[in-house]
Amino acid sequence: MIVGRRILMAVLALTGTHAWAAPDAILSQLSPATLAQAVKQDNFTVPTPGELLAALNKVGKPNWQAQYRPPIPTAYTSRPQIALNLGGLIADGYIAVEAEDSQQVKNIGKDIMTLAKTLGISETVLRRGKTIEDFAENNEWSTLKEELEATQNEVKLAMDEQHDEELTTLVSLGGWIRGTEAVSGWIANNYTEPAARLLRQPAIIDLLRSRLLALPPRTREDSLVKGLNPRLKSLQDMVSFPPGQPPTQADVKRINDNAADLIQSITSKR
Amino acid sequence: MSPFLLRALLIASLALGPARAAFAESDAEVAAHRSILDLAGAFTNDGFKLRDGDYTGTLLPGKSVVIQVNLYAGNQYWFAVSTADSKSALSINLYDETGNLLKTEPFATQADSTVKQPPDPDATATNRAAAGFAPDLSGPYYVRIANSSSLPATFCLIYSYK
Repeated sequence: MIVGRRILMAVLALTGTHAWAAPDAILSQLSPATLAQAVKQDNFTVPTPGELLAALNKVGKPNWQAQYRPPIPTAYTSRPQIALNLGGLIADGYIAVEAEDSQQVKNIGKDIMTLAKTLGISETVLRRGKTIEDFAENNEWSTLKEELEATQNEVKLAMDEQHDEELTTLVSLGGWIRGTEAVSGWIANNYTEPAARLLRQPAIIDLLRSRLLALPPRTREDSLVKGLNPRLKSLQDMVSFPPGQPPTQADVKRINDNAADLIQSITSKR
Repeated sequence: MSPFLLRALLIASLALGPARAAFAESDAEVAAHRSILDLAGAFTNDGFKLRDGDYTGTLLPGKSVVIQVNLYAGNQYWFAVSTADSKSALSINLYDETGNLLKTEPFATQADSTVKQPPDPDATATNRAAAGFAPDLSGPYYVRIANSSSLPATFCLIYSYK
């Protein structure tokens, strides 16, 4: 039986989950069909907020503290709303790490734990929370970035384990919107074309929107989630500008307003 | 194992392909993961941050897979892939959003080698390979992993950035 299971697993692995492309050769060009069928995996295809913030650090010296937001409520009852806010808080954690603000990191860490507890996934995350607190205490900023990403992955893993897989998309979405809000906010006030080009993220939001549409009906029909999609479409249009045509300062302000408006909806108690 | 049972398993696997992720990592995937983390150490020592996510799979001989990633202008990236089997030969290439092959910095070693080889433009396929890239444009890019050996290759793909 064990042999049979191993063979089954081997065959499953060999057949894979995705459409494999043409036989090997170093192709100079991939076809549109191949690009369309490319594998898209959340924890590989969607960058972490840290990657966006790292890129922004190359084109300016952001005052990260100016991108803080007031503490958000942590007593939500809707699981989709909690998941969206968990993602946003993790993005806040990255911002606090960039600001090298240990107290802010600890405050955000506590809020993350509170929300995770509400979802019943705090046990694994609590261990991370203690580690985050220790690293913040010791100003280990580089390690903290890794811990935040590991925390996000553990939150998602815990959601998978308790059959809340659909919520993982919402964690990614909440983090992406909050990261975009913070970065566009800084760029709107410190406009340069190279910085504005960073906001070009058409495939990320396309992937997140497609994941939203594929959510189970119960989650998709949640009033908050349902209201997000058309507004995300507007944001998608704004961050899908052509490569050689960066948004103007006014465009960036619109992106920021749009992202801030989404965050406002996500954080408002219903 | 009877041929009938094998055929039934194969049919079941085709039908249940997307369920693969439900299984725990296989021994080969764990070994490939371990192998790639050895290589990733070279990048983290150079200030690169390792993304805490990976893509694993198995490629039949002569097959390839394409994975979408999203990169930010100004950052530098290393994409690295490994299979634990030193007889396997993987190549890694990066493409822009319209499917054009991009020039990347190569870095290829044999996993069982104790001496790191310098970047070799001709070393396009070994059991551990990496491609370095610093995009001028933010947006989607595509990583293509190809198996040019005569054996199936279970691989692990990671990336790091700074």
